[in-house]
Amino acid sequence: METLVKLSFYCFAASSVSLAASAVSYIAFSVGRVRVRQATMATSTGSTVTTSRAEYFPGPAVAGRFGSMLAGFGAFFALLAVLFRGIAAERVPLSNMFEFSLTFTLAISVMYLIFERAYGTRQLGAIVVSIAFLMTVYIWMLPTNLREVDPLIPALQARPIMTAHVSSAIFAYATFAVSFAAGALFLVRKKWNARWLPSLEMLDDIGFRAVTIGFPLLSLVLILGSIWAHDAWGVYWSWDPKETSALFTWLVYAVYLHTRTLRGWRGSRSAWILMFGFAAVLFTYYGNYFFGGLHAYGGVN
Amino acid sequence: MTNATAQLSPSRSPMEMAIDRVWRYFCSVRAAIAEIAFLALLVLIGTLRGSSVPESLANGVPFLRPLVDRWYAWDVFRSPVFAAVLALLAIAIAVCTVNRVPGIWQTINHPRIRTSHGYLNGADTSATFNTNSTTDELAGSYEATLREKRFRVLTERIGTDTHVYADKNRYARMGTFPFHLALILLLVGGIVGAQYGFREREFILPVGDTRAVGHGTDLSIELVRFQDSYTPLGTAEEFESEIIIYDGGEQVRRETISPNDPVSYRTATVYQTSLGHGSNMRVTDDTGVELYNGTVDVGLFNFAGNPDSPAGYVEIPAAGVTMTVVAPDIEPFNAPELDTLQLKNGQMYVMLQPLAGSDAGPQEFVIDQGQSIPAGGLTVSFDREVQWSLLQVAYNPGIPIFAIASFLLIGGLAVTFYFPLRRIRAVIAPGPQGATLTAVPLAKRDWSGKREFFQTVAALESGLGVTPRVKKPAGSEDWEHVPATPSAPSSTG
Repeated sequence: METLVKLSFYCFAASSVSLAASAVSYIAFSVGRVRVRQATMATSTGSTVTTSRAEYFPGPAVAGRFGSMLAGFGAFFALLAVLFRGIAAERVPLSNMFEFSLTFTLAISVMYLIFERAYGTRQLGAIVVSIAFLMTVYIWMLPTNLREVDPLIPALQARPIMTAHVSSAIFAYATFAVSFAAGALFLVRKKWNARWLPSLEMLDDIGFRAVTIGFPLLSLVLILGSIWAHDAWGVYWSWDPKETSALFTWLVYAVYLHTRTLRGWRGSRSAWILMFGFAAVLFTYYGNYFFGGLHAYGGVN
Repeated sequence: MTNATAQLSPSRSPMEMAIDRVWRYFCSVRAAIAEIAFLALLVLIGTLRGSSVPESLANGVPFLRPLVDRWYAWDVFRSPVFAAVLALLAIAIAVCTVNRVPGIWQTINHPRIRTSHGYLNGADTSATFNTNSTTDELAGSYEATLREKRFRVLTERIGTDTHVYADKNRYARMGTFPFHLALILLLVGGIVGAQYGFREREFILPVGDTRAVGHGTDLSIELVRFQDSYTPLGTAEEFESEIIIYDGGEQVRRETISPNDPVSYRTATVYQTSLGHGSNMRVTDDTGVELYNGTVDVGLFNFAGNPDSPAGYVEIPAAGVTMTVVAPDIEPFNAPELDTLQLKNGQMYVMLQPLAGSDAGPQEFVIDQGQSIPAGGLTVSFDREVQWSLLQVAYNPGIPIFAIASFLLIGGLAVTFYFPLRRIRAVIAPGPQGATLTAVPLAKRDWSGKREFFQTVAALESGLGVTPRVKKPAGSEDWEHVPATPSAPSSTG
């Protein structure tokens, strides 16, 4: 078992490096190049005036392709890390913050690659893969004892429902990361008129599509959590801070969906709600650091 | 919404007008969004109340301390404001849903087929095919293409023009109803559970004891056996209780329960929650009359000053005292300086405090298992240590409602999001050399809808062998699959 745990950690390390390199490549591709052009003109008085103008160019396409390849490696190594750890623990590794974040890294990478393929655009990677990389940085900073595989405490010994509940949360958060990236790029493109980025309509659509995946998943998280709570705690809703922060996130995205579909909000206003929604996701994700209550399983309280 | 915004008739009575206003308020999407946002704010305030954030805030900004104290004191989720917002939202959902039914039903079953030329010309996205075919031939090809892509096609002949309305996933618009119904059902389930159910949070059972469930049931539960195991680090690995459920004194179930594995009998469900230890204590008076004989559960409380010393207490009115019992430090190597009692295994610290109204001082002593100690006219005996199991017994009649709501919620969302309504309007008119088809998607600022529209256009193009004139909004250059044709001047993006 110890060998598999070590192997899992090495794969995680390889995933970290791949995702770091991928994020750099995507950023190089997405930020593009800025060239300052100067022009000198003679005026009617005989003097000369020099003007300068910034011109923006898309980044090298090869950087984008390289980013995709490295993101694929990152996802692959994260998958191996999860698999080896899962085999060692004889369960899906989701029981503490190390395992949860490791699987989250995998989910973000996979979700991003799916959206990249579906929309044929790579610029989102500059943000989404950077989030995945930052997640690996966070994992490196976690207490080292969390890297060990420990037996589950009795409260967590409900494997099918725990796996479904926590996996849904991970994939919901991963799709919200994609929607966040789409919203952020939307604002960037609009503010700086960055023409090489995907069109505003496409970014708006990506943000919306990601939420249409994440929102039902988050609903599923709340429902599965309630079913599990009913079996474990005798009550399906306890107003526990972790529960209510997930409800808060759900409500924020409910506002996004209602404003968009019923009020016709598009563009910057919707993009800002996506920013706020992802802040709520992070608030829920890292809530174990400052919440008390029944969800104190992460090993980081 | 359209019904709600109908003009008020001047002949209506004040009552009718008032009802109409209330109805319009509840139909207002803007009001509903404001209510959801306000609910989110309340949930955030309540969530932070359960965290260390307010405390950190008060530590950082001392003058906020009174505000933070009020924050901690305010139980948001049980406040009238929270209940009122939930009620308001539930009503708004119900009214809004009822109000939307006719419009949605109309769109599904009797959509308007006719399209004005002004609409076609003003659309930001369109495709125009100039063909040599007749109007009927072009209409036939167009219909076949749409049907191949699973569109419903409705046509109407007006003069020489053929108007075509096509839609896909029209019933998905109904998905909003089960979703919103589910939200109401969740609230109903919660109310039903709270109103007609019960929940015994601390159903403590020492091994060998039997306790009645109460709450109008004739059930009682006996703890036959309790088993726990620990990791080398002292963390509980697993624990389970073997229980017998009696109904009217008759044994009806004998089961082993553990966390996540409860047992149900009729309306009651028994959950394994926690574990602990207790001490069997007896108190007699001077004449030997037994005033108390039972188990004092230690572990629900801690001894003041040492969180590692489990404690418990029992009030004995017959003896006029409260008896507090403290067990030995369970982790003597953790903060040993706090272990002031220095109890050994098999010992208990006992304190007898007179109940209110007595001037007598407390009696304190350490007692060994099997020992009896006289104290203040009473004799306290410590018979033996016992293990107890902390169970929960609950009945929630709202569960079936909750289950139905869950299915409706997820199903409604899935239908709404994964089967999006797609609509295309078109007019086929005779042109100078043949028929001309102009098609427009009903997908304003809907990137996916437009992409699907252009996929349909591409299919029609390959079927007809005619290159269309395409108009698309500025900045939508990422529809790579659109045939490269000279575009008409772009309209707004």
